[in-house]
Amino acid sequence: MISKLTIRRLVLISTVTTLVSLALMVMGIVFPRPLLLVLAMSLGQLFGTLSLALYLLAIVLDLQGVGEHDPVAPFIGLERGRGEGEGEGEKGA
Amino acid sequence: MVVTRAVPRIETLEQLLKATALAASVISILILVWYLASRPPLSRMTKVMLLFGLGVMPLGVALTGNIAGFEYTLKRQFCGSCHVMLPYTEDAQDPNSKSLASVHSRNHSFGEESCYTCHADYQLFGAMTTKVNGLKHLFYYVTEYANTGPYGEGGKPIHMYKPFQNTMCTRCHSTTAPSWTKVDDHQGMLEDIRKGDAKCLDCHTGEKIHPRAFAHGGNGRAPAAQASAK
Repeated sequence: MISKLTIRRLVLISTVTTLVSLALMVMGIVFPRPLLLVLAMSLGQLFGTLSLALYLLAIVLDLQGVGEHDPVAPFIGLERGRGEGEGEGEKGA
Repeated sequence: MVVTRAVPRIETLEQLLKATALAASVISILILVWYLASRPPLSRMTKVMLLFGLGVMPLGVALTGNIAGFEYTLKRQFCGSCHVMLPYTEDAQDPNSKSLASVHSRNHSFGEESCYTCHADYQLFGAMTTKVNGLKHLFYYVTEYANTGPYGEGGKPIHMYKPFQNTMCTRCHSTTAPSWTKVDDHQGMLEDIRKGDAKCLDCHTGEKIHPRAFAHGGNGRAPAAQASAK
């Protein structure tokens, strides 16, 4: 069952994976040794692509209103209507 | 009073790309650390910020970093970062060396990219096949040459994947310049050289190009170092 917590976790995993990816890519730029360059251009970009895909998935799930009535939502800052009034239009529709 | 520059000046495209990539990565890291530290609600603003931190900026880092990386791989310094290549690269950048590799490296048309200029493939996908071969080099380096001596002593002799083609030389030495045609041997073999039946390397042999290479009878070190070693 996909919940708001799942969305939150997807974003968290995506964030951490991006940091790993950035670390690999920056290593390849700062220390351009053959092995580091290959790692930056392969694993670094694989992690980067993966993290972006995870984030987009999280956003799509969020926009679809997944877990909107999840009781955990108010405690993890994901409930609808909180923060700049987003989702109000969808609720009305 | 001597004033030292704290930030290196950006003079080449590669340096500009690297600076751009590093700036983009710093912005991305700041956004991501902010998110991890404060864990704000996923409001529209947070989503847009994360889209920059997770998507736009890392894409910029990847793009500029890749181009900067590929630019760097053209340089002799990169080739010499594997120690087994030191007999080749040290000789090429030795101002006192009379080897063909060194003479060509002193030419501004070759300069820092002298290894790539002579050894890259120049067909439609030449750059790509050269990079694939570079990956093979890395594999062999890690699996077979990593534990060899400081100049690659004890490793298998290094050789090219395929014979050196005359076209690598005739891209510059067009076989029509008076200074080239006045050489008696060139005149006598002109048609054979143009057809590829006679190879440039038949006369301009490996020991004249890379004299320090083990494959060409060298011991990896410069002549002065060889003499003092004896």
